Amino acid sequence: MLLTGSADVLVLADQFSVPTIAAWSGEPFEMVDVHVLQLIAELPRTARECVLPPGLHPTEPAALSIQAWRVGDSAIGSFTFCHTRLSCRSGVRARGMTTAAVASTTAAAMLLRERFGFPSHVGHVRLDSSYDRCDVTVLLDDTPVLVMNNLDPQPLDANDVQYTSTLNLAHTPNGLRLVQVDADHHTQRLERLTARLTTFDARAWGDSRIDPYFIVTTTLARAETVTLAPVRFVCRADISAFEGTESVRH
Amino acid sequence: MRFGIFFELSVPRPGGKVAEYQVYMNALEQCRLADELGFDHVWAVEHHFLEEYSHCSAPEVFLAAVAAQTSRIRVGHGAVVCVPEMNHPIRVAERAAALDLISGGRLEFGTARSSTWTELGGFGANPDDTKKTWDEFVRVIPKMWTQDSFSWQGKSFSMPERNVLPKPLQDPHPPLWVTVTSPGTELDAAERGMGCLGVAAVSYEEQERRTARYRHVIANCEPVGVAVNNRVHTMNFLYCHEDYRQAARTGMQMIGAFNTMNAHLYWTREAYATRAYQSLGNIGQSLKQASTPDDPSAAKGLPEGLGVGDPDHLVSVIKRWEAIGVDGINFVLNAAEAVTQDQVLDSLRLFAREVMPKFAGPHNARVPAPSSLPVGFA
Repeated sequence: MLLTGSADVLVLADQFSVPTIAAWSGEPFEMVDVHVLQLIAELPRTARECVLPPGLHPTEPAALSIQAWRVGDSAIGSFTFCHTRLSCRSGVRARGMTTAAVASTTAAAMLLRERFGFPSHVGHVRLDSSYDRCDVTVLLDDTPVLVMNNLDPQPLDANDVQYTSTLNLAHTPNGLRLVQVDADHHTQRLERLTARLTTFDARAWGDSRIDPYFIVTTTLARAETVTLAPVRFVCRADISAFEGTESVRH
Repeated sequence: MRFGIFFELSVPRPGGKVAEYQVYMNALEQCRLADELGFDHVWAVEHHFLEEYSHCSAPEVFLAAVAAQTSRIRVGHGAVVCVPEMNHPIRVAERAAALDLISGGRLEFGTARSSTWTELGGFGANPDDTKKTWDEFVRVIPKMWTQDSFSWQGKSFSMPERNVLPKPLQDPHPPLWVTVTSPGTELDAAERGMGCLGVAAVSYEEQERRTARYRHVIANCEPVGVAVNNRVHTMNFLYCHEDYRQAARTGMQMIGAFNTMNAHLYWTREAYATRAYQSLGNIGQSLKQASTPDDPSAAKGLPEGLGVGDPDHLVSVIKRWEAIGVDGINFVLNAAEAVTQDQVLDSLRLFAREVMPKFAGPHNARVPAPSSLPVGFA
């Protein structure tokens, strides 16, 4: 029947250097004055299932979302963050599975790893936006792994963008699980831009087969409040979400 | 009340040519039986690249075969995608008119604009423009059918004076429809004097609200065609069996397969931020568990309003749809071949024998469903 991922879960856990969530937190994480840039790009058909675990279903076409956040303030201060997610379905739900993440501060990397399961490393992340463009640069060990230049913003209504929930593979009190992270976005301004992805080091973003070869669209949401809700659900990665979904007890 | 059957032509994995052939042959056999049994309509979608969910990318060919193998059932485009990268409007008008001719004036003409990035992106279409091009198509195609000389200067295409041929057999032209998934599209249909062809399973309450708004607006419409089509049809699923438990088991398996496949489509809104797609277009997510005591589905633990159950149950369900103003129901009979062909055919026969006679409509008269044929053709 439905196409499912074919990647070995333990291999993925190693490949993505997944974090450990020692205990569930019941606290939301609120970020204010956030700029969120989201680029959606199609991936080659050959990679559509081999980088997802059997519990998830690839979309057709396979797609990657790159999300970069510039956070003005939060409980851990300001920081920038960039992560890549493979579009997928968990049961009947639209989701994005994180393959890699880079945060600009140690505090942000740790919080996002230990509370929400993002496989965050510390690196150099910049999101610079002006009236006519938005540039994102990510460096790991002083090496550029992502450079995007986004031009010619066109205004949209604040509700015209869709953000799907995130699944992070992590060791949790329930075992090795896909951790569902729900982000609540309150956007004041939204723009669509024309993107140029000039540098993308696929290996740094989780798998050398990830090739965002066809850019669909890029949006920039300005002055957002983004709240990550406490984790409520996790899923086993080796079986369908219909059988493998578990509630989290805080 | 009119009864139709509705085809996505879904092909289960691993698929392949033989499986596709079998799905097409099964569907044609279902159409022949539906014609004999007195069903009023056969509808076929137009979808592209939607693996497993729908392999119905050339509905005009499928419907031409249906027309050739049947004698009275009406054949419906449910619907032609009105996006120029997929279909040039002149070709749409030509193909539809030819289909109306070879079917003996049995065409119902549904229109749509596609809701998946898989399809729009595959053809290089701009999602921002699809509503505009749909509007342009539905205004020009009736003119191409009814005018001997037609010219156009528009956004998606322009043409000097030509006589678009052939002309459809029906007078003044085949009935026009709009497929309705998202709330509000029924008003687009009503404003243009077009029929409301529901393709999403919605609750009684939501359908009643949509139908009331549609009826109110179409009363003062500015029709895009020569004739107004003010019918409201909904989409449903059909599995009818004497034992309602058996019906529920088999029927809900089919519906589960359909809804899961549908939820796995890659929606335009998910990939491409735009004003033009305010909802996903996901058609399988609005099943509502029956809860009110007077709902016959509640006691049986079924979602409300589904065409799944024993004949008495289906009569009560359809009476409810009829009471809220729906005048046609089009049934999906299978999904990814979750139901065997014998079961589908038995379900159709039982429904026609025990349920259809309880409702007034052309299916009881065993005569061709009403159309608008020129004098001498009726």
